[in-house]
This record gives sequence, structure tokens and C-alpha cells, in this order.
Amino acid sequence: MKSARAKGLHGDDIDFENTWGTLASAFREIHTKNASRLSYEELYRHAYRVVLKKKGEDLYKRVLGFERDWLSTEVHNSIQALLTPNLLVSAQAVGTSNTNERRVAGEKFLKGLRQAWGDHQVCMSMLADVLMYMDRVYCQDNRHPSIYTAAMVLFRVDILNHPVSDTDARAVLDLLNRVILDQIQMERDGDVIDKYLIKMCVGMLESLHEDEAEAEDQRLYNTSFELEYLTTSKEFYRKEAEFLLRDSDAGAYCRHTRKRLDQEEDRCKSTLSEVTTPKIQKVVEHELIKNRIHELVEMESGVRFMIDNDRLDELELMFDLNSRVDDKKMELVRAVQKRIVEMGADVNNAAVAASTAPAPAPDAPDKGKGQPQEKNSNQQTIAAIKWVEDVLQLKDKFDGILRTSFGMDQPLQTAVTRSFGDFINSVSFPRSSEYISLFIDENMKKGIKNKTELEIDAVLEKAIVLLRYVQDKDLFERYYKKHLCRRLLMNKSISNDVEKQMISKMKIELGNNFTLKLEAMFKDMTISEELTSGFKKHVEGLGDKDPKRIDLAINVLTSMTWPLETMSSGDDEEGKRTKCHFPPALERIKRGFEKYYSEKHSGRQITWLANMGSADIKAVFPKVPQKDGTTKERRHELNVSTYAMVILLLFNELPADQHLTFEEIQAQTNIPHSDLVRNLQSLAVAAKTRILIKEPMSKDVKPTDKFFFNEGFKGAFLRIKVGVVANGNKVESDRERRETEKKNDDSRGFCIEAAVVRIMKQRKELSHQQLVAETLNQLAAQFKPEVNMIKKRIESLIEREYLERIEGAKVDSYRYLA
Amino acid sequence: MSNQKLAEYVTLVSSDGFEFNLLRSAACLAGTIKKALDPKSGFREGEQNRVHFETINGVVLEKVCEYLYYSQKFAESKDVPDMDIPPALCLELLIAADYLDV
Repeated sequence: MKSARAKGLHGDDIDFENTWGTLASAFREIHTKNASRLSYEELYRHAYRVVLKKKGEDLYKRVLGFERDWLSTEVHNSIQALLTPNLLVSAQAVGTSNTNERRVAGEKFLKGLRQAWGDHQVCMSMLADVLMYMDRVYCQDNRHPSIYTAAMVLFRVDILNHPVSDTDARAVLDLLNRVILDQIQMERDGDVIDKYLIKMCVGMLESLHEDEAEAEDQRLYNTSFELEYLTTSKEFYRKEAEFLLRDSDAGAYCRHTRKRLDQEEDRCKSTLSEVTTPKIQKVVEHELIKNRIHELVEMESGVRFMIDNDRLDELELMFDLNSRVDDKKMELVRAVQKRIVEMGADVNNAAVAASTAPAPAPDAPDKGKGQPQEKNSNQQTIAAIKWVEDVLQLKDKFDGILRTSFGMDQPLQTAVTRSFGDFINSVSFPRSSEYISLFIDENMKKGIKNKTELEIDAVLEKAIVLLRYVQDKDLFERYYKKHLCRRLLMNKSISNDVEKQMISKMKIELGNNFTLKLEAMFKDMTISEELTSGFKKHVEGLGDKDPKRIDLAINVLTSMTWPLETMSSGDDEEGKRTKCHFPPALERIKRGFEKYYSEKHSGRQITWLANMGSADIKAVFPKVPQKDGTTKERRHELNVSTYAMVILLLFNELPADQHLTFEEIQAQTNIPHSDLVRNLQSLAVAAKTRILIKEPMSKDVKPTDKFFFNEGFKGAFLRIKVGVVANGNKVESDRERRETEKKNDDSRGFCIEAAVVRIMKQRKELSHQQLVAETLNQLAAQFKPEVNMIKKRIESLIEREYLERIEGAKVDSYRYLA
Repeated sequence: MSNQKLAEYVTLVSSDGFEFNLLRSAACLAGTIKKALDPKSGFREGEQNRVHFETINGVVLEKVCEYLYYSQKFAESKDVPDMDIPPALCLELLIAADYLDV
């Protein structure tokens, strides 16, 4: 076919040398940009003929030879002309010459190189056009790269990999890299550079390859420039990090790092190649963040400083940076946790300090109840409430930080929660449950006055939030029951609705079990009201129209649900509760009620707890000359405790000038010693309610003291409330506290046993480890028992033959004995 | 250089002096013509919008032009009607096709 073609149209022989001469001169014209004088068709025809004449190989080689000549003489020389000594020096020792000169020289060099590259590309594409037939026929048949590709390779070999000059062995490519890096460095230092120019040069590197295979990752850009770029950047940022850590604060460091990251991203887009973006970002992250985050967080102006000064935006930056290098944000988490625990410990210590500090004004004698003990526990209560408020404040603060700075990040959230739990439950501060309960108590009694429902709700919600952190929920329950009990019996609570609301909140938070008893307490109160009114009607029905009749309001309390033992003052041991002798008038009505009650519920026994009651007495004081000379009978309504009432009734039957000694009173009333002392103190010592006169006049009550009725008692108001010393909900003294803990431990023991039995009943056989683990698991909602305690309980259960050890088992195991 | 808007029609000249005016888009279907007229290269043909073919005579070039229009017209359609090619011209047309990279 080819021979036929040759004969038909171009049969005439051609002279190869002649033709090549024509082509070569034409090529030169092309290179010197004089193509418009040439006829494409003619050149094409020449090349076409040469190839037809099977001289393709010769032509290919000639063209390459021609190009090589051209590049290594003309182009190379023109580039050499761009190499000012300035540039060469700068390549050897960056920084010796003036930055500006260097930049200009560098730009000139880059421009020249880009020009040479651009020209080469254009010319080669023209040559390739002319030699199209050769590419199509000869190159394809013989598997040579197209003439264009081959010429590009030549550019790499003869220009870029060529030594800079005879005396300087470094390749032009190295110089190019150096210059680009230099330019980038200038930009980092704040100079303006020709980004487009660099981008072009990078483009050149990207389209050239390390070898003939032209694999994607073998592009000169990747193998040569990018590599160097990353190493120099690494070095640069390492130094910068060092410098910044030394010279600026953490906030500035974060801002700077953020800026650098953005800059590098921009640079990759505008100046270099986008494939580098992830790589350089990694370098920056590694150098500026990962290697430094620890130091950064720990800096004087680090996380701690930011938290203390509410530098929310800086914290956000810190969070952002840390999350770039570490999903779990370990460093930040650690620092935040540490800070919370520290601040929590501060709050704890402040509370301890406040509760143990001497009374703030010991020299203020007119403080009414003059007992130092009293003051001390008041102070403790204040400390408790302050503690709760401080903790809540801390919580608010960190919630704020979480929300605005950390974007509600999960790991940090759990960290914060855990830290709060840590310090609230810290071993050195065992009073959190008590304090929280006190806080609620305080609010129930006073705090929620004049507040809208919404505000009340917020207060309750806060308490619940804290409660959530408390591990020993059973201890809290104990305190809460005690405090609630006092509130209910003494009518201290402002609103029953709020109480119920609180309980339902706790129910949601802690489950049904927790509030069962609390709810039962409320139920008792309601039933008691019904009983009282029922009894009243019953008495009226009897037709006893005694004007001196005493109204009885009764609270019947289920002994299991009410923490009554905690109500009795600490002195008398349990089970030895002495029965108070009521005066006959009272005794009558008491029996009346007992009768009434046993009619309604047979088989129930009522124990009277006089120490918890109170009474309103209408007292008439004899006429006494007043200051203005008139004499007047004075009436007062005295609100006193039941005991005080019993005492006062004794004096009722006594002639005015007679007295009773302490011992006599005790013998007649059978009131427990400590209660009696306290009641007498409030009746005879406290300045405003001195209804009795004591001889000798002193604060302490001694068995030999004598008491008179104070006929000259003066009171400013009609109603006078005689408080009984130390009767409110206060922080416990250490002794009380030990008792509470002991009781708590006892009840925990039962809980553990119950849990163990429940588990074993279900599982029949279980290893010791598993049993302990499951027990812990079951009880987690209530408290965190000590493993030792569980062990003891298990021992005890074995003794009582609920369980037995499985003989010969590899690990300690137990079997349930039905 | 012909930076200005490219002329819509170009001229092909045969070895025996016949001139054919045809649409640039059609002419450029032939690889060789396209490259000869490529404004980026700036050869003489590109400047003048005129390509002289020393090796192709008028009869053949006419047929080539006919084919270029024909292939442009039916570039995207199916069931193309056959183009009538006189057997005598077959060989010469084949050679021209190879040369012109059609």
C-alpha cells in the first residue's frame, strides 16, 4: 500500500540531507519566532515525504539532536545571563544580601526560566504539528515517545539538570527550588511576591517528570521541589514555634498558628500546587501544634489562664488546634480536668475553712442566741450554702466554656462531668451530699420566698444538677430525709407544692426507689391532717365543751419511713427513749386520741414523740406596774416546744413566789436531760424569751439551779416564739457526722446483702470477681460501695448459710443456697 | 499574528490552481489543515487563511471538500446516506486522506 502511494503521488526520489536542511532552517525560524514566513504545508510535506521514505528514524534523531543543541546553547546561555552573582550568593547563604535585591533577582530568574519554558512549549508544539506524520506513523510503530514528550524530557535534562555554570556544579533545578523557597520565605516574613510567576514555574515542574515513565508521583514537583519545601517549612516552623513559645503568650500563639495554617492553605492555592495542601498542613500542625501542645497548654498564659480569665475565643482556638492533631484532645482535656479539680478543691477548702474559722464577730454579744456552738453551726450552714453556690458557679462557668468554646464536644463534655464528679466526691471532702441537702433545705425555708415559679424551678434544677454528680446517693437521701422531716414537722417549708416538685424532679433523676420514702412522708402528713380534723370532730361530738380544752394537732408518722432517730438529740442512746410525763390536762387528751386512733386502726401502736412537738400557749402575766404608772394584765401567745409547755404548766400550778429546782423539774416531767437543759436555756437564759428566772443567773444549767416564774416578763409582741436552742437544720457536728456515717454504713450493708442475694438467686453460681462486679453495678445508682465491705457482707451471708463456697473451683466461687 | 477574530471561511488551493472556500469548522476536520491554520503556531497559512496543496489536484480536493462538509453534516446522526465516490478517484483520495489526516 505504501509503495503504491509512493509511486502514485510522490514517486520522485528525495534527497534526505537536502530536505533536512530545509526543515532545520525552518525550525530555527520557528525558535526565533519567525514562523509566519514559513508554509506549514511545505514543511509538513517535507516531513511527510521523509517518513514515507522510511527515513523516520533518522528524522527523529535529527530533530532531537537539533533540539538538544538549541537548548544547551541558546536557551542555556540566556538563562545563564539571568544568574546574577547576587542570586548565586543568595543560593549559597540565604540572608547575606539585601532581601529586596534578592527578591528582584529571584523574580528575574524565575521570569527568564518561565519564558524559556513557555517558548520551548510553544515551539515544540509547532514542531510536533509539522512532524505530525512522523509522530503518527514512525513513533507509534516503533514505540517511541512522541517528539513533543521527548523534547520536554530534553528540557529537563539539558536545562534543569544542567549545572548552573562551569564552576558551579549545582543544577539549575536546585537553584530554581532555592529561589522559590526563598520567595516563599519572603512572603512568610511579610513581603509581597509574584505569586502568579511562581505558580507558573511550579506548573512547569508539575508537567515534567523524573524519568521517562511519567508516573504521577514521579513529577519533578513531587520528587524535588515539594520535598524540599516540606523540609524547609518544617525547619522554619520548628524555629518559629520555639520563638513564639518564648516570646508570646498562649493566646497569641494560637492565633498565630491559625493564621499560619490559613496562609499555607492560601499559598498552596495561589502559589504552589493544591496537592501539597494536606502535606504542608500536616507539617505545620506537627511542628506548631503536636510537638508543642503540651508546652502550650502548660504555659503561664495557657489553658489555665484562659479559663481563669474567661478567654473564650482563645480557648476555642486552642480547642480547634488541638482537635486538628488529636481526636481525643488529650492535652486540652487533661488541662481542663486539672483546672476543674483544682478550682473544685479550692471551693472545698474554702468551705472547710469557712466552717472552721472562728466566728466573724465574737465580740458582738447582742446577737441574741449567744451560744458559740450555735454560731459555729450557723456559720457551717452558711459555708455549706456558699459551697453549693460556688460549685454551681463553677459549673455555669464551664458550661459556658463548653458551649461557646468547645462546641459541646463529646470528649470534653465527659471530661468536665468526670472532673466535677471527682472533686465533689473527693475523699478529702466528704460533705457534699449533706451540703446539697442543706442548700435545698435553705431554699425551701427561705430562698424561694418572693420568687416566681420559673426561678424556683431554676434553683431546684441546679440542685438536681449537683446531685447528679454525687456518688453516694444513699447518704444524700439520708440527709434529705432528715432535713425534710424537720421541715414538715415544724412547718418550716414555704410551699408544699415546691417540695413535691423537688421530689418529682429527684424521681426523674434517680428513680422511683429513691423517692419512695420521701413520698411516704408526704402521705403521712396528709393522713395526719385528716386524723387531726377527724379527732377534732370526734371530741366535739363528745360534747365536751370545756373552754380550757386543748386543741390537738397530730402527726402520725410511719416509723420506718421517717428518720426519727436522727431527730432525737444525740445524748440519749437509742431504745432508751424516756417517756415524758404529761400534766393531767394533756394526759387526758392524749388518751382520748389514742382511743380514737385505735378505734380507726386496730393493732397499731402509737409512740409519742414529745421532743418534736410544739404548742401555742395563751399565757396571762399578772398586773405589773408599767413605766407610765398604769398596771395592766398582759397576755401573750407563746409558741413553745412541747417540752417547754410541759415545764411551763408545772409553774402554772405553783404559787408565784415558789421555785422549782432543775432536779425537781426533771423528776416531775421525766424529760431527757439534754432536752430539758436546752428548753430551760431558751426559757430562762435567752434574753427575749425569759419567761422563767434562773438562780444563779448564768448560761449553763446546773442540776441545783432554781427556777422562778418571771412575773415581770416583758415582750414587745403579742405572739412570742420561744426557739429551742439548736433545733434547725444545720451542718452536723463531727460527732453527729460520724454517727450518720455509721448508720449509713449499716444501711449500706443491708443494701449490699440484698443485692448479693438478688444476684445469686438469679445466677445460682458465680465467681467472686463477677459477683463483686455485678454488685457494684447494681448499686451504682445509689452509692459506690467499697469492695472490702462487699467481701464482708458475702462472708456474713455464707455464715448465715445463704451462700456457700464451691469447693475445688479454680477461682473463688459461690453457690446460692435456696 | 492573527489575534483578531478568525475568519469564518478559509481557502484551500489545489496544485492546479483551483480555490475552494469553505467553512473553517469543516476544514479543520482534517488534522493537517487544522494544524496549518492553528493561530497559535502562526504559520503563513494561518496568517492568510489560505492553504496551498502542492500535491493534490483540483478534482481530488473538490471531493475532499465535499467529504468534509458531508462528515460535518452527519457528524452526529445515524443512517447516513452513502457518499458517492467515483472508483477512479479512490486511490488518490486515499492518499490525500492519509496526507490530510482525515
